[in-house]
Amino acid sequence: MRPVAAASDPTKHFFQPIIVCLTMASVALTLFVIWISLHDLSLMRAGREKFVGLDNYIRFLGDPRAMAALWRSVLFTTLATVIEIALGLAVVLFLDRDFAMKRLVRTLLLVPIIMTPVVVGLTWRFLFDPATGMANYLLSLGGISLVDWLGSPQIALFSVLIADIWQWTPFVILLVMAALESAPTDPLNAARVDGAREWQVTWYVLLPMLRRALAIVALIRAIDSIKAFDLFYIMTRGGPALSTETLNYYGYIVAFTNFDISYALAIAIILTVFTNVALLTMYSVLFPKTGDR
Amino acid sequence: MAQLSIRSVSKSYGAVQVLDDVSVEVEEGSFVVLLGPSGCGKSTLLHAVAGLNPIDSGTIVIGDRNVTNLPARDRDVAMVFQSYALYPTMTVAQNIAFPLKMRGLDRRTSDEKVAGVARLLQIEPLLARLPRELSGGQRQRVAIGRALVRDPRLFLFDEPLSNLDAALRTELRAEIKRLHQSIRRTMVYVTHDQTEALTLADKIVVLKAGRIEQTGTPLSLYDDPDNAFVAGFIGTPRMNFLKAVVVDDGKALTTGEARVDISHLKTKLENGKTVTLGIRPEHLDEKQGVALPLAVDVTERLGSTSYVHGALPSGETVVAERREDQPRFGETITLRFKPGLARVFDGDGNRIR
Ligand SMILES: Nc1ncnc2c1ncn2[C@@H]1O[C@H](COP(=O)(O)OP(=O)(O)OP(=O)(O)O)[C@@H](O)[C@H]1O
Ligand SMILES: [Mg+2]
Repeated sequence: MRPVAAASDPTKHFFQPIIVCLTMASVALTLFVIWISLHDLSLMRAGREKFVGLDNYIRFLGDPRAMAALWRSVLFTTLATVIEIALGLAVVLFLDRDFAMKRLVRTLLLVPIIMTPVVVGLTWRFLFDPATGMANYLLSLGGISLVDWLGSPQIALFSVLIADIWQWTPFVILLVMAALESAPTDPLNAARVDGAREWQVTWYVLLPMLRRALAIVALIRAIDSIKAFDLFYIMTRGGPALSTETLNYYGYIVAFTNFDISYALAIAIILTVFTNVALLTMYSVLFPKTGDR
Repeated sequence: MAQLSIRSVSKSYGAVQVLDDVSVEVEEGSFVVLLGPSGCGKSTLLHAVAGLNPIDSGTIVIGDRNVTNLPARDRDVAMVFQSYALYPTMTVAQNIAFPLKMRGLDRRTSDEKVAGVARLLQIEPLLARLPRELSGGQRQRVAIGRALVRDPRLFLFDEPLSNLDAALRTELRAEIKRLHQSIRRTMVYVTHDQTEALTLADKIVVLKAGRIEQTGTPLSLYDDPDNAFVAGFIGTPRMNFLKAVVVDDGKALTTGEARVDISHLKTKLENGKTVTLGIRPEHLDEKQGVALPLAVDVTERLGSTSYVHGALPSGETVVAERREDQPRFGETITLRFKPGLARVFDGDGNRIR
């Protein structure tokens, strides 16, 4: 329900024009993008574009490279989100509420987040170097045979995933930690008195209280992982043998290597629609309407 | 045999001694109230009994088991928290059923028990709601229901009525009393409200800054307080305290112009010693006895009776009950009391008997 005051709220004169401008800008931009994606605009054949209807979209469905990239995007996003949330939550529950040097740990957690992706990507490229990298050195200490982290098509995607997890799990930890600290402790104590074991306290009382925070972090991470570009660009450039080419990265290749602007924009639209549908589904599952405002 | 024994329990948070050598015996089936001002350590003591707060020293025995080192889950107590502590993501029915679920009770028995408790507390229409959709008093009753649904050895209530309005508080107070009489379970109840303590308790334990000031039945604390703190804390309006000086070789006191006979005291006091004389407002409405002139300031009319606030010639303020007339501002009236009902305290506030 709208508060009665809303009708005569004079502040609307400040925010309404801004909302109108922003809406018009994004609607105009989207329409323009859709319009171009219905042509065959290519920088290789400048000035000779014509209307082709849904050809670009049909071409997408028949493009095995695009389909593989889409699948890779889904795989990467799902794995990154699930692992980062699970790992972050586990770390938070393990660290629990009060421990010595908590402030120091919290400061250290900020380091990966504030590092630029270029530095993170380069650092991991050095770590994953097959001959001189730390990762293989550690494996050799354990007597395990060496791995070609970024050179093997079966492994490269997971190597990028590891870097992504390293960079973004601390973000999950920070947010979940904040949620945990602001959650009331008395219900946990009540559960203990009511006869719950520690895991039951966590499972039945604590986790449901953290659900909202977890859902929001998961949404943020999912959106970010779908759009992930920087780590792929620095670490693998989509290779080897296209094994780390996500849909986002493929769109970039189509636009700036093949100069096939219309097809690139069609890919962008598909990615956007796909993301929105997936996220809205996720959102409605995570925030059921019952009783919530 | 005592159902709960708290023996020499001490606890400190850093340098702050929150509980200092506290010992309480609670008889089977009795209703014991822990009474004290805010911050005196009542919740800390209750949490220690429930096993939520480790204690530094001392022993806690429930039934015949030493539970000092047992986790909360194994102590078989039910507790109503000061903050209610309902599970925010569960409905009222799930909240009440939670202790049963943790004990592995089957669904049907559990549903029956929840329905029974809901009927008792008149919260049946609320069973499908979430805690945040309830009023304070309703949350309160759900919290009590969650404690009642089990059959524990011991009930612990931590100021369950402190957040309610006066009418609801009176109603729920009576409900809890009725409940105790019908189920006859051992209950420990924390409050800082002395009316609650007097109406509910079989035994009251008065705490102040982590120490026990006095333990006894409501009447004995009221009539026979061990010290000025207990005398002042129990009874509304508060007991009046007047400065007095010992005269006549310890046979009497003077306060202002008045002379109070204290020859009934066993302790002999020296002439010239300053003491404190404590007189309850309801004892100042006598026809005969020691007279005190009171310059009336305001009169509170409560219907059946009135309380007169005013000052003695010495400047000390006094509250007196007045059943028959209602003096006005500026009048001077004479209060009378029987010396035998006055209580005498020494300079440290300890009772002189
Ligand atoms: N976790 C804690 N750390 C440090 N001091 C604490 C902690 N918990 C309680 N205290 C202190 O212990 C003292 C007793 O607290 P407690 O909660 O037992 O008071 P209470 O008698 O229940 O008061 P109230 O009537 O306001 O609920 C207070 O002085 C409080 O400041
Ligand atoms: Mg308390």
